[in-house]
This record gives sequence, structure tokens and C-alpha cells, in this order.
Amino acid sequence: MSGPWVEKYRPATLEDVVGQDHIIERLKAYVKDESMPNLMFTGPAGVGKTTTALALSKSILGEYWRQNFLELNASDARGIDTVRTNIKNFCRLKPVGAPFRIIFLDEVDNMTKDAQHALRREMEMYTKTSSFILSCNYSSKIIDPIQSRCAIFRFTPVKGHQIIKRLEYIAQEEGLDYDPAAIETMVYFAEGDLRKAINILQSSASVGEKITEDSIYQVISKARPKDVKKMIIKALNGDFMGARDLLREIMVLQGTSGEDMVNQIYQDVSRMATEDELDGPSYLEIIEAIAETDFRIREGANPRIQLEALLTRFLYKART
Amino acid sequence: MLWTEKYRPRSFDQVVGNAKQIKEIKEWVDLWIKGEKQQCLFLVGPPGTGKTTLAHIIGREFSDYVELNASDKRSYDIIKNTVGEASATRSLFSQGLKLIILDEVDGIHGTDDRGGSRAINKIIKEGHHPLILTANDLYSKRIKSFKSKCKVINIKKVHTNSINALLKRICSQEGVTFDDMVLKELAKRSNGDMRSAINDLEVLARGKESIDKSNLKEVGVKDSRSNIFDSVRRVLKSKNLPKIRQAMYLDEDPTLVMEVMAENIPREYEKPQEIQRAYEMISLADLNFGRARSSRNYSYWRYASDFMGIGVALSKKETYRKFARYTGSTSFALLGKTRSKRDLRDRVADKMAEKMHISRQVAISQFPYLTLIFENDEMAYEIASYLGLEDDEVKLFRKRKIKKPPKKKTTSPKKIDTDKLKSDGINSSIYAKKSKSKPKSSPSPDKKVPPKDKPLKRKKIPKKSAEENNKPSPDTKEKEKEKQTSLFQF
Repeated sequence: MSGPWVEKYRPATLEDVVGQDHIIERLKAYVKDESMPNLMFTGPAGVGKTTTALALSKSILGEYWRQNFLELNASDARGIDTVRTNIKNFCRLKPVGAPFRIIFLDEVDNMTKDAQHALRREMEMYTKTSSFILSCNYSSKIIDPIQSRCAIFRFTPVKGHQIIKRLEYIAQEEGLDYDPAAIETMVYFAEGDLRKAINILQSSASVGEKITEDSIYQVISKARPKDVKKMIIKALNGDFMGARDLLREIMVLQGTSGEDMVNQIYQDVSRMATEDELDGPSYLEIIEAIAETDFRIREGANPRIQLEALLTRFLYKART
Repeated sequence: MLWTEKYRPRSFDQVVGNAKQIKEIKEWVDLWIKGEKQQCLFLVGPPGTGKTTLAHIIGREFSDYVELNASDKRSYDIIKNTVGEASATRSLFSQGLKLIILDEVDGIHGTDDRGGSRAINKIIKEGHHPLILTANDLYSKRIKSFKSKCKVINIKKVHTNSINALLKRICSQEGVTFDDMVLKELAKRSNGDMRSAINDLEVLARGKESIDKSNLKEVGVKDSRSNIFDSVRRVLKSKNLPKIRQAMYLDEDPTLVMEVMAENIPREYEKPQEIQRAYEMISLADLNFGRARSSRNYSYWRYASDFMGIGVALSKKETYRKFARYTGSTSFALLGKTRSKRDLRDRVADKMAEKMHISRQVAISQFPYLTLIFENDEMAYEIASYLGLEDDEVKLFRKRKIKKPPKKKTTSPKKIDTDKLKSDGINSSIYAKKSKSKPKSSPSPDKKVPPKDKPLKRKKIPKKSAEENNKPSPDTKEKEKEKQTSLFQF
């Protein structure tokens, strides 16, 4: 049983990690020395932060990596207290069969400032026995004291040719029949996110026919958060309450995040502009509003309220 | 002693108002004492009408009583233990019945008092003990489950005249001379709430010999009594700044006020520009709440309050002369209605998170792909068993059940190999990569000899192998060789 392809084809060793060559080179030195400082991996989704952290830990900790490795997801754990107790209990014990223990904390930028300060203390207390690997999307959301305690590695979106290589490799492994152009299309939509690329590949492979450009387009349109376009049309037609209800349904029920909603709205709106459903000035005004909404959500506002406010901007367009 | 305590009725005949209800209660008590088991008694009514007082008076009729109110934590265990204790003491010390009073059950908290409602339901069902519940809101969701199993008694607001009489009696007992007008006004303002009337009177009259009209200003109309909808209506209906400011003084969670305000903007305002401007104000208020939260600096709240109060109010050109029906935020209603669906979603996401090293949110963002992938029986089966999904969880991605595929000849021998390697704790990709050039370089024998030695070696001494990788040139050749050999093993 190997799970979805994103998991099945997750590289297990450092040299198999796709892209990020400079970073991997430097990390290999830590493996050689059997020691490492606290690390921080920052970068967008699907570029290999978690994979690298897992591979690095396995090579440093060797045979006993399971006993000496703790993975915590900062955004899911119920508050800093759980994180701290987990870390404390883990760090209190001496490393067994390995030079030190490794704690991998994912999505640290979703921790509150207070929690981060608490975490800083933990990082100081256990320097002798443990090293931390932190990962986050935006290092700007991490407090300075933590940043200064870490060697920071900035992961970049995976390059097109590297994604192609990986996808072709998987396709071969799975015995898929594909058009080369289809792979190019996947790379275009993946935007440097290898996880997304592999998800698209497996989704199009699931039909069991030859993978073509068309089938990729179909997957892309089916995998979109549903009803977003419908919501935009409703708002443009002046039905604010209807659009708002739809928005709430998408966010509450489907659980779509604010960030994903903004992305989807942006994509839909820009497509509408290229297809002449929106005139230039209206398009610009809406984009301005989307940009502001995006910013406010990142500033810590409530995504749903912000998106409801964004919908009112479409409403105005319906009149002009 | 507070006057509300001092003048709290000690027997049924001292209770003001609700005569009919009291008669019913008395019957209930008598039947219990005669030994006939009765349904649980549920006193429902607005604050200050005497529910708790009645419960205590009833308690006196029984030999003893225990009470759990909102200030106690009321989780399953605590309620269970308290009641358990009640039944134990009953059998030991007296043949009388011990009454259990659970005050303000509509205030049982979802998470802090986990299982509280369940415990109450259980006690109601068992029915061994006389039990009294009280609540303010008959329609609260929290009490829905036990309402039907109880004898519900609606305690009504007390009539102004009765309150007036009560206040007069207190004044004369305290030796305070009074202006009739003042007591009447206090009674009227209390809106049927005896407790607040007595409290107001105490503020005015305690330690004084007389009170008159001029004292009335000392007690304001209680802010907390103007409810959230009144405030929202005031903001949406008015452009008068002092009035709006006043309306925003509200003893409620300000983000909740913001939600209700936002909800009702399009119900009141009709012009798109107005809705847009008002919502921009809501957005700014929300932004400031966010800043307050993340910086722990709550002085940002004052800006939020102005944005969602004055800002929203001034977004309209003119006030509308119409009646608009306001509602609470539908997104909260939606949260309640979709609870089980969301639980299912989160359960699946958590299973993915655990196996796939991702957060719940990232897991949810992959659902659309999984829905597509699950159209393929084989992949669906594989992923479902990998994640350990139950049948109902699978339904999240596909309507049909997954048929268990008869151990198929799957794809190719190659695949079986990688699976096997995986089960040995090694990621298939290492070998897979090596086998990449396979078709070209060697017309390799199809026999799937599991590559025992090399890969296992790699697994057992990963440190060494990692070191190998670091060394530059000489080893790469060796690795090439290794590659070759492993190729042949396939």
C-alpha cells in the first residue's frame, strides 16, 4: 500500500529531492559532520520543505531515526501548550543511537506571536540534546529571535524542467500513456508546486486513458473550488445576498481556505477579462480590491468577512 | 446582605407573580413526596422572574438538595458524580428524597462542559431523583434534547404593578420614604426583572432616608439590556452620532456584533454603493480586530468599534423608512447545520495529515484531486486502505462503495517490486530511479528477484550511505556500478 502518488513518490533521500540543489549541497555537509544548527526552511507550498526535512533527519539519525525524530504540525496542534508538552517530553530524553534528536515543526508561521516566543524558550533549553527544523511559507511572520537562532534556507519554486523530469519518471513507473504537451500543461498549472503537479498527474491518470492536454484541462477545471465562478456571476448581477450565501457555503462546508478563495477569484476574474466579459477599468478596480483583500487576510483579518466585503466590489461593477 | 438576598422569598406564598405556575409546581412536589415518580421539572423564563428562588423553595420541601449552577463546571463526570453522591447520601442518612437543581442549563458550554447535556439526559431518563432544570431561553439549541422529556413550566415576566408593590414593601421595611413616581419608574424600567428592580432600588435608597425623582438619574438604564439587535438596528437606521456611539456600548463580544451588523447590512441598505461602503467599514473593523488579536494590543478595538458603528451608519445616504427583518449571522447557523459534514471532512483530513506529513488545511485543499482520483477503483482502494478510511469517509470522495479488487495482476512486476521494497521500509523511488533506463539498457529478465542485499544494506547503514553520497568522484563510479548491478536484479 503506497497511498496517493504524492506520498508514494516522496523522495526518501537528500539526493533524490527534486530541485533546491544549493540547499541540498549545504545540508549534506551537516550529514557528514553529524551535527547541525537549528534550521528554518521557508518557501511556498509543494517545493520540498517537508521532504527535505524528513530526508535530512533520516540520514543524520540513521537507523534509529524514528525514536529520535518528532514531527509536529504547529497549525493543527491545539495551542502552544500541546506543542510545548510534546516538545518537553521528547527533549527530556537523551538521544538513543543518534548524535542528537530532531524536532520538525511544520507551518510555524501559523503560530501566534506569543506561541512563537514560548517556542523560542524551548529552543534554547534543549540545545544540547536536540535540533529544530522549522518550516514556514513566510519567514516574515516569524519573530526575529527565532529567525536569529536558525540557519535559514529559502526554498524556491521547482523549475519547469525539473518538474517535467519528475512527472515523466512517475509516468513511466506507473506505465502511463501521455502526450509530451500534456506534461508541459501540467507544469504550467503547477506554478512550481510539485505536489500540485503530481496531484494533477494522478487525477488525469485515474480515468485510465491516454493523458492529453485536454484531459489536463478537464482535471484543472474539475479540481477548482466549486461554485466560485457562480458566486462571482451572482455578485456581478447584483445578487449580493445570494453570492454571500454561496461564499459561506464554500468556505464553511468545503473548508476552502481564504488564500485558496482569493487565488481562485483572481484566476476567474482574470480569465473573464481575457474573454471580454469584463471591461478594462472594471477589471482593474476589482484587481485592486482583490489585492487589498489578500493583504488584509495576511494581516490577520477574518478571511470570510474580508471576502464578503470583496464581493460588494463586484456588485458595483454590475451597475456600470 | 444584598437586598436581593434579604428579600428573597422563603416560601411559596411569598413569591410574587406566576400564581398558576406555582400551583402546578406544588402539585409536582406533593406527588413526589407521596412517592410517585414525576417527570423532571423545567422552569423556563427571563432573568429575575424567580426561577432559582422557586427551585430553592422547592428544595426546602424535600429533605435536602444539591445545586449545580453556571459557575460550576458541568462536564459529564462532574454531573454524574454529584448526582451519584446525591443518591448515595439519600440511602444512608434519610429516607427523604434529595432534590437535584441544575441551574441555567442553557449555559452549558459545548467544550468546557463536555458531555454535560449527555449526563443530564441520562439522569432524566433514569428518573430516580426529583430534578429541576432552569433556563432563560426555551429555544436554545443546547436544551433541545431534554425539553421534550420534561414538564416545562413557563415562568412569566412579573407585572409592573406587582414589582411596584414589592418595591414599596421593601422601602417601608427599610424605613425609606419614597416618591410614588420613582418606584413606578423603577418598576417600569425593570421590564419584569425583579432582581434588577431591587438592585436599582438598593443603589438609590441604601443608607438614605428618602428618595425622589432627582435620584433617578443615578441609575442608568442597563446597557446590557439593550440587546445586540437593538444596537444593530440603531446603527443601520440612524445617522445621529451620539445615539450610534451609545448603541455601540454593548456588553457583547464585539466580533459577534460585527458579524450581526454585516449580516444585516444588505437587509437594510439597498443601494450597491451603500452596501459596498458599509462593508468596507466592516472590513476595516475586522482588520483592526485582527491586529488586536495578533499583537495582543486591544486598544485597536476602539477603531473597530467606530468603523462598524459610525462608519456603517454613515454609509447610507438617507435612512430607509421600512421594516427590515434582521437575523443572526447565517454563517453561524450554517456552522451548526453542517456540523456532521464538517466533522467528517476534518476526520478524513486528519487521517491524511498524519500519513502524509501535511496540515489539516493542506489536506483539505487536496480533496478535489482525491475526488477525481477516487473515480479509479484501483487507486481508490489503494488510497482508502493506505489512509485507513471507513466506508462513510470514502463517501466524501465517491458515492459508490469501493469493491475490493481481487488481488489483480496489477500493473507490472516492477510495481510489485517497489511495493515490496516499500514494505521493507525503503522508499521505492530510490530503486525506481535506478531502473529508469531499464527498458533501453537491458532486455532484463522479467523475473522479479527482490533485490535483497544492496537495498537492505542501504537501509541498515543509512549513515554510511549518506556519507558515500557526499564524497565526490571515486564513489560515483562505484555507484554507477551499483546501479548497473541493481538493474540486473530487476
